[in-house]
Amino acid sequence: MDFRLAFPALVAGRLLLAYTSLPDVLKNDHQLSSPLTSYSRLQEGVYLFQQGFDPYSGGPFRHSPLLLSVFSTVFPLTRFTSPILWTACDAVAAWALVRIWRARQNIAGSMRDTLVAASYLLNPYIFLPSLAFSTSSIENALCLTSLMFACQGRSSAALMALALLTHLSLPSILLLFPVSLLLLTDPFSHLAFPRPFVARIPSLPPLLAEFTAYFLGLCAAATLLCGNTTWVEKTWGAFLLLPDLTPNPGLWWYFFTEMFDHFRPFFLMVFSVHLLIYALPLCIKYQHDGVYATYLLLGVLATFKAYPTLSDPGLFLSMSALFPETYPYLRHPIVTTLLHLHASLLLPLFHNLWLTQGTGNANFFYASTLVFGMANGAALLDAMWAGLRVAIGEMRGECEVAQE
Amino acid sequence: MATAVRDKASAVIGKLKSLILGTGDRNISRIRRRRKLTALLWKSLPALIVTLLSAGYFWMLAIPLPQLGQRTYIDENALQPGQVRTYWDWADVHRADQYLEGLEQLRGRNASSDEIAQHIATEFEKIGIPASTQRYSFSTTAGVTNGTNAYAVRSSPRASGAEAMVISASWISRTGEGDGTLNLRGVSSVLALANFLKGYSLWAKDLVFVISDGYLDGMQAWITSYHGVPQSNMWAEPLELSSGVVWTALNIDYPGHSFSHLGVFFEGLNGRLPNQDLINSLFVITRHTAAVPVVVYDHMDPHEFPGIKADLAGIPEWVPGSLRENDDVVEYGYRAKNILRHANYQARGQASGVHGLLHQFRIDAITLFAVPAAGPHGFHAIGRIVESTLRTTNNLLERLHASFFFYFLVGTHTFLKVGMYLPSAVLISTALMFAGLRAWVEAGWVWERAAPEPEAGADDKAGTGEKKGGPDQLKGRWVTRRRPVLKPLGIMLATHAAGALLFFTITQPWFVAHQEAYAVPVFALFSALSFAPLLLSPPSSSSPSAEAPLPLLLRALTLCLASTVTSIISVLNFSLAASLALTLGIPLTLAAPAHSLPARLGKGALYACLALGWLVLAPGEVRRAVWNWEVLRVWFAPFVCVVYTPLMLQAAVVNVLPP
Repeated sequence: MDFRLAFPALVAGRLLLAYTSLPDVLKNDHQLSSPLTSYSRLQEGVYLFQQGFDPYSGGPFRHSPLLLSVFSTVFPLTRFTSPILWTACDAVAAWALVRIWRARQNIAGSMRDTLVAASYLLNPYIFLPSLAFSTSSIENALCLTSLMFACQGRSSAALMALALLTHLSLPSILLLFPVSLLLLTDPFSHLAFPRPFVARIPSLPPLLAEFTAYFLGLCAAATLLCGNTTWVEKTWGAFLLLPDLTPNPGLWWYFFTEMFDHFRPFFLMVFSVHLLIYALPLCIKYQHDGVYATYLLLGVLATFKAYPTLSDPGLFLSMSALFPETYPYLRHPIVTTLLHLHASLLLPLFHNLWLTQGTGNANFFYASTLVFGMANGAALLDAMWAGLRVAIGEMRGECEVAQE
Repeated sequence: MATAVRDKASAVIGKLKSLILGTGDRNISRIRRRRKLTALLWKSLPALIVTLLSAGYFWMLAIPLPQLGQRTYIDENALQPGQVRTYWDWADVHRADQYLEGLEQLRGRNASSDEIAQHIATEFEKIGIPASTQRYSFSTTAGVTNGTNAYAVRSSPRASGAEAMVISASWISRTGEGDGTLNLRGVSSVLALANFLKGYSLWAKDLVFVISDGYLDGMQAWITSYHGVPQSNMWAEPLELSSGVVWTALNIDYPGHSFSHLGVFFEGLNGRLPNQDLINSLFVITRHTAAVPVVVYDHMDPHEFPGIKADLAGIPEWVPGSLRENDDVVEYGYRAKNILRHANYQARGQASGVHGLLHQFRIDAITLFAVPAAGPHGFHAIGRIVESTLRTTNNLLERLHASFFFYFLVGTHTFLKVGMYLPSAVLISTALMFAGLRAWVEAGWVWERAAPEPEAGADDKAGTGEKKGGPDQLKGRWVTRRRPVLKPLGIMLATHAAGALLFFTITQPWFVAHQEAYAVPVFALFSALSFAPLLLSPPSSSSPSAEAPLPLLLRALTLCLASTVTSIISVLNFSLAASLALTLGIPLTLAAPAHSLPARLGKGALYACLALGWLVLAPGEVRRAVWNWEVLRVWFAPFVCVVYTPLMLQAAVVNVLPP
């Protein structure tokens, strides 16, 4: 199908859906928006701010001051404006995904463009959170925009988008490694023909300095806006200290509801450091392909970060549309698909049994998040394997790959 | 000495290691081991599927075995059932008789709903409890249902009224699933109880008395208005009186003149069950406080009537006499009867009484059914039972949560935990999953004969010829082929869309009004859909060695989807999952294209009948399911149309397509 026709049609369909009553049903769903991305909490924060209260003095508001400033001044959040903004975010993200695909193939357009855009716009993990007006849609759009700029070699724009993203969601700072790797190399697919990273180390410090400058600038703006620095603990602190144990599809919340208080700091440290350890090894192993390294790291974040929503794994799954060269080497695509099918049916079901029908309990929902974690892990591991396996190519005769 | 022992030990360990892990290169032995394992798994897979399938079916047959199950017990310590002295007395029975007289007069002059509700509200007000009425109407495709509820709220003298208990009776009894028998004695019991309970200051929760009109419709109007949930096809007056969160509810159904046994009905809408503590408490109280024998549903316990025990257990006449009298056989029959009754309600998502409507708002509710008989019990027993049960639930400090929400109540003393029956459906669904994965692997590989030189397009796993080819290894090898999934996915999506269309059709007024006339054409039209792929898709031009055949892929995906749906529904509504496993299990595993065209068409027609036969064969069932969906939001009808029928149609398509 023609991309120029299909893309507007898909976006228009999404916009229409956002104007139905679906968002009112979905917006308080625990799987679609976490305490850090919830639309209702954002509205509450904006209201408090406009009434002259410090929204960060209470518990519920944990969004970035930047969102607060935008939504309390230039872009009021109403039932009319919100669908436009969230659909626009998805459109931008899908567009960026298509641009990444084109940059990666070094072509101006292809038959696959529509499929790539559709893989983002029609992914239920993406469009349900977006219909619930979860700010994770904004984060996804920023992430893909940053990656798109990096693929096009526009380092300042990429770093600015990444700084904004980090400001909204602290764990995304890990993406700085693969994105700078990408900026120092090229976006083309080298999976089939890996080559060592040709070090241009001297050009790295300026990139990092630029990022730091943007980041500090945004921090300064946020602090000026709030008049104090309580927002740091309320927004970024939440990723590290997990103050709000509202259930979500991630792996942290249940673990910490069961935890004795004196073990809490230790395990908070373990969980956070666990996220850190993936960044460098992935960048070293996939040094020949920055986009793929970013993709895998997004998969790691989606599985293991503190307050995930469905849009985080959704981003990872939609991005796999960029790497058709790995498909023949996936070891268990049907198993991954079935795991995701089970998880996506079990999550709402057990959530309902626990919180609506009252016949289940928290363990039910926790079990379904474990299935979901397994599904994400299976997808991630298979992507890692396939990404390396491409390089060996097809085997002839009685050979098998023992190690990559 | 010590070193010698250590050496010997390490030598033995080394030998064991080489025995298990093999000698030589670690990677090579690992690959060999993996290949051996996969070859073994592949070879035994058909047997495994059959084993799982039969194990599942046998497990289902074994569920009523007398050896299974455990005794019921009270889990929530706060309940303390039967520990109070009851004060309900003959004066209250006399008052109930007086109320009954008033109601009989109303019945005698064929009073309207409004009149009855007004009369009841006035009686409540005479007692001194704030009361009101609520008019409502439901518009369904089958017509409009009107009525008027009466209700009264007695505020708690001891607490803030944050919680409440409901005591209800519907105007029409549940006898014959609402066949029109009036529940006059149930209503007079509620009135007399209101009068009696008001005199005590020990209530920690508000008491809400509801006399709902009709059988199920009145309570649906009342409870949805109470919780402020709008329903598009319902109009109801807003409630003038309100109270707190309702935790428990008792519904009294007393259709006869007297009763011999007290039965309990507990299945709610969409298969939700109340906490077992409530049922167990009622049984304890009924036995020990009121000395009334208890039964599950209205099934008499065969052990109580030794003369006719085989008939009571539902054991057919043709069973030889010695078996018919065997206690284990009788117990099996009795349990099977209870389980089937339960599954009949639960799988349809149907409420077995008015209590079931309260379940949708997380209220644990049951119906006390006074099994009609010539005697010996009457108002005196029912009053004491309700009084004591209310005293018990009055003790609750939190919602009922201990005990069980997933169970089979196979007798008044015995129940089955979820672990005892759930595996049966899950085993069948696992068999379906393995069959699906097997078909998927089969679709991805093809045996190529005698091509000595390696061909382009041979995959890295060509070496697995060893694992599948066995002795044929020299004559050919396994090569991969493409599995284009878009076409089968498109067919699946189309059948589910057709299912949605079917549901839309059967909920149209013209269909409901002239069901007999339209059932056959609709059946024919939708069955024809399963033959459509035959016309639309000419046999694929590419050779089967390059591309997997469509029916095989469709079969793989259908089996995987059916397995997923079955295993996931099993935690929500086991009876529905079991019915799915029973109806889908064997047909789906046997679906495969035959070689001759007539055989293909015949098989396809058979499967289409399995998918859509209910349209023609069970018109009453269809009408009831549609009414349940429209008024009570029971999702059985849409589920059958959008999940069951399409899955079976997909199997029909698999049969019809050329191999």
